[in-house]
Amino acid sequence: MDIAFRSQKSAAVEVQDLHVRLGGNPVLRGVNLRIEAGRMVALIGPNGSGKTTLLRCLLGLQKPDSGSVRLLQEGPPGPGILKRMGYVPQRLQLDPSFMLTVREFLAIRRPLTASWFWRPSRQIDALLHEAVGEMDVTRLLDRPVAGLSGGQLQRVLICSSLLNEPELLLLDEPTAGVDTPGEADFYELIAEVHRRRGLTVVLVSHDLSMVYRHASRVYALNGVICCEGAPEEVMNAESLRQAYGIHFTPYQHQHPHSHGSHGH
Amino acid sequence: MDIEPFMLRAVLTALFLGPLCGFIGVFVTARRMSFFSDTVAHAALAGVALGFWLGLPDPTVPMILFSLVIAGLILWLKERTALLNDTIMALLLSGSVALGMVILSLLKGYRGELDRYLFGDILSVGWGDAALALVVLITVGSVLFWKLNALALLTAHSDLAHVSGVPVRWLNYGFVALLTVTVALSIRLLGIILVTSLVVIPPAAARNLARSLRQQILLSLFLGLIGASGGVILSYPLNLPSGPCITLTLAGLFVLSLLGSRLQRAHQNAS
Repeated sequence: MDIAFRSQKSAAVEVQDLHVRLGGNPVLRGVNLRIEAGRMVALIGPNGSGKTTLLRCLLGLQKPDSGSVRLLQEGPPGPGILKRMGYVPQRLQLDPSFMLTVREFLAIRRPLTASWFWRPSRQIDALLHEAVGEMDVTRLLDRPVAGLSGGQLQRVLICSSLLNEPELLLLDEPTAGVDTPGEADFYELIAEVHRRRGLTVVLVSHDLSMVYRHASRVYALNGVICCEGAPEEVMNAESLRQAYGIHFTPYQHQHPHSHGSHGH
Repeated sequence: MDIEPFMLRAVLTALFLGPLCGFIGVFVTARRMSFFSDTVAHAALAGVALGFWLGLPDPTVPMILFSLVIAGLILWLKERTALLNDTIMALLLSGSVALGMVILSLLKGYRGELDRYLFGDILSVGWGDAALALVVLITVGSVLFWKLNALALLTAHSDLAHVSGVPVRWLNYGFVALLTVTVALSIRLLGIILVTSLVVIPPAAARNLARSLRQQILLSLFLGLIGASGGVILSYPLNLPSGPCITLTLAGLFVLSLLGSRLQRAHQNAS
């Protein structure tokens, strides 16, 4: 895989002098960001730092007051570019009264399976085979989506976003509903997808520990990008103090190790 | 067996609208829009009163139009103000009923009409209503099937739907318009007060038995059909308004679905 080569060639995300005000308050105050193609990066920041607003700008859900967003070397997020992107939200808004199964959820996200309603399950499974196997969700196919645990749902959401063969994958707080032991496995899985497919992955998170282990570059946001660089550079106290405020005590691993019974 | 023409019209209308309400109801319940359905139904009372005031012999058109105006007003207030959904709908529901009652009180000789619009009356279903129900079944049903993926995705996550290329805003407006027309038309059979039962009970009962969205939609269609037509047929020999008969039939089907779901579970545990 020529990830390094690709990363020198192009930018998957380019944001210039982005300003957004919400309810009169400046949320983004001149964000400049360049994410090279093929990287797995993290966008971190405390609550209220504008992470969600920036993510919404990247997805075309929030119109900026000024500044520009250019994705995949093409332009601002529009229908054509969004087809080349994947988005994994924190959770779904599904009511338990809606009996949508995992198989059906994957089928409705795959453009070719528009006629899934009248197709037998095995035909749908054949169309979904690759992504389902990659994310190991085969045994969940018959389960209602509303009844999945946080970790299972995240797998299904990533699986569904891979069906379009995206070049850029945006994940919003991907481990928000995942229990602590499941987090490490989950990030390993994303890292594996990233390695195998060579796509650009942007993790938006306030969870520093896993980001530290898996992201190749970290961008700390607090209205503006206050620091960026390799995880070990950004995670030093001074940079984080700028991003998170003076009272913040970062929860992070200072050394690579696996989780044992001692906990953290 | 001879069948009275009014009965034939009512049963046909029930056969057309029952499955349609069951189908659209799957998305109404999942999107927590039951109160919305109730609000546009109550708004129809003002439409009926306005129709009489204008001297129209059949108030179906003003009834549907006024419900659509109120549905549009709900969306407009939701987007333009900080008011909560519930507050907006309660405001418009009570306001429409009050307006309808005032107009009906001012008109002489129409108070007697009130009951048939509140609780449904099979005698009031004309051939025009049955034809309109068939047209609405075909058009609304086709649009719902055509936009099934987009609607299911919108129900799951609106931002995800947007990113997947679904025109979220227009789909939302379209869904609201289809729901409003379907509900307003069903008022002839069930009445303003009970019409939401045909939208809410079939999908809720179907959910007890279904294991997938496909099964839930098909079962809900079927239960809507049985509940609406069964209620209409029962209302004639019992000499009761059709609305309560349809609602009680649906309630009976819901109880049966609960029992069925218990049996299903017991069977699974045993095997």
